[in-house]
Amino acid sequence: MHTSSKLKSEFIKKWVKGLQICCSSKKNMDFLERKKKIKLCADIALACAKNSTSWSIALISEAKKHDENKTLVDNLLRPESQIKPQKTNHQMCASHKRVRSKKILKKSHHVCQRMKKMGPPKSNIATYIAKRLVKKRTQVLKRLVPGGESMDEFSLIEEALDYILSLKVQVDVMRTLANATEVLNQSDSSIFD
Amino acid sequence: MNPEFIESNAGVRSQGGIKWQQPQSFFIENDHHLQNMFTSGINIVKPDPGMDDSWAGLDAGAYGYQLGCGDHMFLHGNLTSVSVSPRKRKADKGQTLQVVSEKEKKIKRCSDGDSKITRQNSSNNNSNSNNSSKDKSKVSKVQKPDYIHVRARRGQATDSHSLAERVRREKISDRMKFLQDLVPGCNKITGKAGMLDEIINYVQSLQKQVEFLSMKLATVNPELDFNIDNAFTREMFESSTSEFPALACSSTNSAYFDQLNSLDQVVSYSGLDMGINSSEMGLRRSISAPVSVPEAFMDSSCFNQIQPTATWDADLQNLYKVEFEQGTLIPFQSHQFTGSNEASNLKMET
Repeated sequence: MHTSSKLKSEFIKKWVKGLQICCSSKKNMDFLERKKKIKLCADIALACAKNSTSWSIALISEAKKHDENKTLVDNLLRPESQIKPQKTNHQMCASHKRVRSKKILKKSHHVCQRMKKMGPPKSNIATYIAKRLVKKRTQVLKRLVPGGESMDEFSLIEEALDYILSLKVQVDVMRTLANATEVLNQSDSSIFD
Repeated sequence: MNPEFIESNAGVRSQGGIKWQQPQSFFIENDHHLQNMFTSGINIVKPDPGMDDSWAGLDAGAYGYQLGCGDHMFLHGNLTSVSVSPRKRKADKGQTLQVVSEKEKKIKRCSDGDSKITRQNSSNNNSNSNNSSKDKSKVSKVQKPDYIHVRARRGQATDSHSLAERVRREKISDRMKFLQDLVPGCNKITGKAGMLDEIINYVQSLQKQVEFLSMKLATVNPELDFNIDNAFTREMFESSTSEFPALACSSTNSAYFDQLNSLDQVVSYSGLDMGINSSEMGLRRSISAPVSVPEAFMDSSCFNQIQPTATWDADLQNLYKVEFEQGTLIPFQSHQFTGSNEASNLKMET
């Protein structure tokens, strides 16, 4: 797909850039640290490459909370950083409000449910079970998709769609790179033997 | 709202949006007509009369279908059979549904139930009966910032809440359809909970793959030095779409970097096989000084310039010359190129 290859190239550029920034700071990192850095860079690069979606914004703002990542994020965001911060703030406010109003909704919903619990299950127990299942699963999905906590069901599904696409891109790129370096190491070692 | 479950069984499925065929024929006067519609509905539904599984297999988002003017009556009649489906969603607050849900799900009784309902409809004072008579008029519903015009179906509550609910559900089912294409193995599952389950599993597996791959990269890479030339890697990905120009570029690239490579490693030219490309990538990575001269890639004359500085064996050099003069890409295996799995990836290109 045309868009996905574009996304791929964007992602690679940002990822490599981010990694260079990362490894310039510290020289000797142990295995787990390296892995974390790689993953972090990859995630942030992906989110930056995909600018306009809510999950990416959430991911970036989440990453920005830790000071150590701030420079990294800012560097990766640089071309679009003029647009981003306002949107991030706005989004965060909006999500805050949504969270608050969701809480109120939830409370009232709980009350309703408690009142409902007397009646319907007798006649519509299947419905009740089905609804509970769906609700549980949407909760799980909300935890999976970054920034999903403050989304209503519809936008959650949209964001999940987008997130899946970008995750596929990420996996593709990382797999290619991993294979490449593996092949290189093999050929290197075999030459030196 | 139950009506949404019914249609896919009939193989009629409306795509997105709120499409209403024959808007003028909403209002059905006579019972006779009603029964006709209803029997036609029954015929369609009959193949799987009381099987919960089949209902479970219904697309949760199947809504509005264009079966003709009998739409809502059909929907309405089927309410009885759907009401006990495990996939049934939020029960309609209307009185008709409550009446319906108590009935059995046998199709034969649907007609009775339906006629009872219609009679109730006509006799009741509740909003349903009022609205059923108003059904032929459009009901516009203002929803949030954008205005979505929704027509109430016959026999359903037309208060704003249920209408909004229905629109919302239709939107969700739309998105679910996209997800079905995206998530592998989702074609068979059509219930909302099952779909969500698949989505969750898929997202989790993708995330785990990312973790695993980052771990792999961390092991494979002792230092996080990815001296990958961005231009080249971009080219590599783009080359998968456009074959020929990239071939020429990659040949010059590999030659160029081969010259600089102190390991005397011979690069095998190939097509766009990822294995070869990755080995090329890897070679470039092994270069100590990160070289970033993208313009040189395109310049084939650089090859001639660099040649004198190469540390080649004479015969290898000649081979290179021959290759480039011929202008073809030939997989090139020298004795130095010790066997690894790239050998299997070599391709013959003419």
